[in-house]
Parts: sequence; C-alpha cells; structure tokens
Amino acid sequence: MQLKPSHDEAARQDFVYDLREFLTDKVYSRITPYYRTRVVPGFEKVHGRKPADKKEVRDVMLADQGYQSWSLLQRLSQQMMFTSVIDTVERTLPDLVEQSKKNLTLGSLRLDETVEIPKYLTAYDIHQQPGGYHSEHTEDDLAAGAIYDATLPIYSRGAMGHENDLLAQTIVKYVNEYIADLRPKKILDLGCAIGNSTLPLARIFPEAEVFGIDVAAPCLRYAHARANALGVNVSFSQQNAEKTRFLDHSFDLIVSCLLLHETSHSAVPNIIRECSRILRPGGWMVHLDVYQFNQETLTPLEDFLRDWEVFNNNENFSGALREMDLQGIFERAGFAEDTIRFTTAQADVEHTEGYEGDYYFHLPVYVAQKELVQ
Amino acid sequence: MTTKNVLPRIAKGKKPIYLDERASDNLMAMVLTLTQELSVLRDRLDTLEQLIEKNGLFTQEDIENFQPQQDSQNIRSEKRSSLLDRVLLPIQKELESD
Repeated sequence: MQLKPSHDEAARQDFVYDLREFLTDKVYSRITPYYRTRVVPGFEKVHGRKPADKKEVRDVMLADQGYQSWSLLQRLSQQMMFTSVIDTVERTLPDLVEQSKKNLTLGSLRLDETVEIPKYLTAYDIHQQPGGYHSEHTEDDLAAGAIYDATLPIYSRGAMGHENDLLAQTIVKYVNEYIADLRPKKILDLGCAIGNSTLPLARIFPEAEVFGIDVAAPCLRYAHARANALGVNVSFSQQNAEKTRFLDHSFDLIVSCLLLHETSHSAVPNIIRECSRILRPGGWMVHLDVYQFNQETLTPLEDFLRDWEVFNNNENFSGALREMDLQGIFERAGFAEDTIRFTTAQADVEHTEGYEGDYYFHLPVYVAQKELVQ
Repeated sequence: MTTKNVLPRIAKGKKPIYLDERASDNLMAMVLTLTQELSVLRDRLDTLEQLIEKNGLFTQEDIENFQPQQDSQNIRSEKRSSLLDRVLLPIQKELESD
C-alpha cells in the first residue's frame, strides 16, 4: 500500500518535511528564551510580576508577533503537509482502491453503515486533515486512511518509526515491564484508524486474537488492505468504542492510542465503562494519550505551549481531557483503585528534539486493571 | 480550474487570525507555498541536470535556443494554471461560503 508520488509531489512532500524540521529546530527552539527575555519583561513592567498561569501567558503571547509568526507557520506547515500528500492520493486513488481489494487472505473487515459518525469527528476536521478520517468521496474509498498513513512520518518527523508503530511498541514495552505475566489471548485496539498500532500487537503476541475497531470506514478499508500487505492477521470492524457489539468479558487487554483526546466529555466515561464491560475480570486497559494535568509540574509557558494543538490544530478536546478527573471515572467504571496509573512510558525513538520531541520520548499512558471480583 | 478535485483540500474547523489581519496570514501562506514550489522546481532541475550530465544528451546552448511546440505550450499553460490554484488556495479558503 505504498504511495507512489510523482517527482514533483515527492519534492513537495520533502519540502514540508524539511519545513517542519526547520520550524522545530530554528524557530520553535527560540520561543522559550524569547519569552524570557522579550515577553516577560513587558509583563513585569505592567504587573510587577511574571505571568502566573497559562491564561496570562496566552494573553501576552497572542499579542506577540514573534510567537504568532511561529504559530502561523506551524499551522500552515500542517495544511501544506496534507495538501502535498492529498495530491498523490487523489491522483492514484483508483489504483489504491483496486489494489486494496486484491489478495485479502488474512484477518477480516466488517463494515456497518448503521454506525453513526460521532459529532466530535464531524464538527471539525481533527489535525486539519481535510474531510477528517471518515469522509468518503468514491466507492470503497480509503483515501482518508492513505492520507493519514503518509502524513504520520511527516507530522512526527520520522519519530513514529518503522510502519508508524512507535505507539504500540511503547505500550507493549510498558505492559511487559509493569504487568509482568500478561499473556493476552484476546486484544482490542480502540479507534484503530489504519491499524498502525494494531499490527504490532498481533506481531508481538502471535498467539492472541487481535481486533481493531473504528467508526471511520475509509481508514478501516485501508487498515485491512495494509495488514494483508504486511502479512498480519487482524479482525477489523466498524464500531464505536462508546458502545461496541462485543460480548461481556471478551478481552484480556484493551488499548487505545491517541483516541480519548479526540472524543468528548460524555464519550470518555462511555468508553471507559465499555472497556470495563468487555474486559474479563483481571483484564487490563492501557490508553496512550495526552499528558494528564495533575501528573506533572509545568511552568506556565510549558502549560500554555502544550495547548497549541487545541487552539491551532483542531484538537479541540485535548485541553479539556487533561483536566478531567479520569481517576474517578476509572474507579466508578469498575477498575481497581490501586492499579490505576497515570504515568509515562519510555519510547525507543531516535529523533526526539524540539517541538513535541519530549512527547515522543515519554508517552503518557493511563493504565488500569478491571476488578477481579465483580 | 483545470482539474476537478475529488478530495477536499480545506479542513473544517476554527480559523484563527495570527498576524494583524487575515490578509497578512494569507500572504504568509502564499509566500510559503511559493517557496515550496521553488524548491520543487530546483529539485526537478537538479534531477534534469544530473541526467543530462550522465547521458551527455545536450548542451546549455540547446536549452537557450529551445522553442516549445504548441502542444507543449498548452501543457505549460495548464501547469501554470494549477500552480496558481495552489498558490492562491488561501484566497479560495477565504472566499468559502460556509
């Protein structure tokens, strides 16, 4: 399922990759010193003290042209990333669709037209991917999945690793260290999109049955074809993680990668309750997501910068998720209090400097075990 | 428009203003896209020059004296039009009706 960009399309994509590298290394890296020496003194003159929280930092930074120039360029680089990849996907779409129907011998794909796309995915296009993950423009469309797959390495500047599998590799590494004797027979990946975090689970636990669900059909079609191209056996189905069709106590391990922060206030408790229902007693869930507000001590500037994606990249809910009482939600859903952890898992990643670099190195995970006695 | 787009190029969502006004933001977007296209062109020229040198096909003088045929002029015109589509996308976004 490799995209085949033309000479100029590849050159355009290379440019965006280098532009993002440039913005990270030569522009974003200046923000902290710039803030200390150029922004804070102005605030101190008026208030007699430094900005105390992210709201105060936000007020001064939004009025500052230096910050806004970086912010605008960062946002534009995201838009150019999508445009440069969409050109290739659009031009080669008939071939991609054709190719995706051939040699499907592994796993399964079950689409369900009755699954409604939740408002949190239709109200705005997350990460500014035009059309989001779910829109369909041709028969058996998989464009959204192909776009997602090809933009991940540009977005993360290669940090997502071979086959974009960094997140799942990190989860498994963490699980093996923290939950030593886990030998899952059935594993579920929630909000699996193109299965880039589902496939590693099937590879690492070859004896397990592995399932991936998502609401977005174009991503699932791509995921199924991609899994076959890579020789991995996964059952993909179109389902909403808030209310699945799986039977009670179906799974030993449920994971999600960067799903919760793309949902909503009401969806998060629904998803956690659903995890509790379909996990067997003693089963584990691991959600890899954004940093939890309570779990860290950030300077007001860091706190402000961490919300950049919320205001500038259509991650509208990620700021709110950081401040939710997940501990309470987990406990009320039936997860054992002493097993609940909000921590970070260390990733084996080479390229980690600059904007979001620290994020890829220390991936936040929310972990809990379902109570043994119900 | 010279081509009909199947896939959308514009994302749904908030459209914050960054510099003094949206027109400035759009100018920045256009400058950046022009830079991208310049970079694409340079990559392509580099490919060409390397291939020319490798194969000994023609000289710099041949390039200076080249007169394109009508067909090739039409293709160039289409390409210029799609370049404008790309560079002026911010304005197309600005003029979106919903």
